Amino acid sequence: MRWMVERNLIWILLLFLFIVEGGLVPWLIPADWKVDIAPHFVLIGVMYIAIFLNRHTALVYGIFFGLLQDVVYYGHMLGPHLFSMGLIGYLAGFGVRRSYISIGSVMTTIMAGNFLYSVLIYGIYQLFKVVQLPFSWVLTHQILPGIIIQLLFALLIYIPARHFFERTVFLQQDEN
Amino acid sequence: MQVLFKLMGNKRLFVLLIGVILSVAFMGLTLGKKTQMTWPEKFVEDSVSFAQGIFYKPAGYIAGFFEDLGELKILYEENKALKKKLAQYAQDTTRLNALEVQNQNLEEALEFTDRQKLANRYTWHVAEVVAQSPDPLNNTLTINLGSKDGMAVDMAVATVDGLIGRIQKVSSLYSTVQLITDIEANQNSSRAIAATAAGKEGTFGMIENYDRETGHLIMNKIPDSDKLEVGDTIVTSGLGEVFPKGVVIGRIDSIKVGDFGITYTASIKPAANFNVWREVFVIEVPKP
Repeated sequence: MRWMVERNLIWILLLFLFIVEGGLVPWLIPADWKVDIAPHFVLIGVMYIAIFLNRHTALVYGIFFGLLQDVVYYGHMLGPHLFSMGLIGYLAGFGVRRSYISIGSVMTTIMAGNFLYSVLIYGIYQLFKVVQLPFSWVLTHQILPGIIIQLLFALLIYIPARHFFERTVFLQQDEN
Repeated sequence: MQVLFKLMGNKRLFVLLIGVILSVAFMGLTLGKKTQMTWPEKFVEDSVSFAQGIFYKPAGYIAGFFEDLGELKILYEENKALKKKLAQYAQDTTRLNALEVQNQNLEEALEFTDRQKLANRYTWHVAEVVAQSPDPLNNTLTINLGSKDGMAVDMAVATVDGLIGRIQKVSSLYSTVQLITDIEANQNSSRAIAATAAGKEGTFGMIENYDRETGHLIMNKIPDSDKLEVGDTIVTSGLGEVFPKGVVIGRIDSIKVGDFGITYTASIKPAANFNVWREVFVIEVPKP
């Protein structure tokens, strides 16, 4: 039953990322460019789940933490993060072949996922007319600088995440 | 159901479409909702905000410490300037006291009702920030005052420099603040701010939009007769009785003729900065 414990640990780790995202990161990013940088650490966690475990688990985690973000930072409406995070978590599972996982393909998937996620959020806000900004501006001022930060974070946790998930899978197979 | 699946050809696509429809319906239903929060929302908000506060506050103190180290050099200069200001302040206080007494006497002479007398006595609550939204297109803050501390929806939130937003939703122990950088005219959940120029009695304008590209607020509906100039300080006018009177918003950066050529539109540089905060003030307007 060790892998069940690990599963619960995923919830706690993601919750920790979520809390840090709004509680600590605003202080870490230099004041001059803070407004434009969005830390999507939970999304990266969800994408790692999709890549190393499976996409259906990632879908569940994505929907849960997306909803949590929507409720806690309720500004315009509920739902955009729920939808985007769930969908991207699911799609990220297709980004990497399970038989051969390389750091390059993982980073490419994470980059593409982050890009799609930001575009989806922007698209939803644009659809409901809660923000009115040209896409080119959002792309250069928010999405692209954001992706660099996400990639840095993804690289930072790549090795521990890979070890953690591979152990979870191993324990799971061992006991079945 | 089987027939439907066959019709769609692909079960996965079918589920995805259902998901899209449900999500969009969910978004539409909750768009611009301004009613009270439900208890699960309150519970989640309170517990998550508590956990976030554990990180946010110490991080703020540490960041503040390094900021202070950096500012040690200019401290001496600042001290000198502040002392000069203090003298001015003492002078103003004596004048203010005299004016207040005079004002009170006049109010009594004119038989103001109790409600009218209390209308401008605002309470400033100090609130600590516990979290900031990580979504750059949805700028909200969480502060550690809730309905138990007398917070209510639509109260103005300011820093020492100027207005930063209004309370959008209140749970028992924490509230969420919508920043004025999220103000948007054709959106239900945002409220326009009635503004006026400091020292120019009777001038009027509505702050309805924020231009993210330039970082300026847009003040519309300025009548032709109002002689506003670049550099004027814009404050809240208190018309509409939602926002308090006289909270600094910013300075006029440029003025041009509005969309229909009848009114003017001014671009305002906000007085407050929107980086990161430790404390903010919530301004409570006494209830009529």
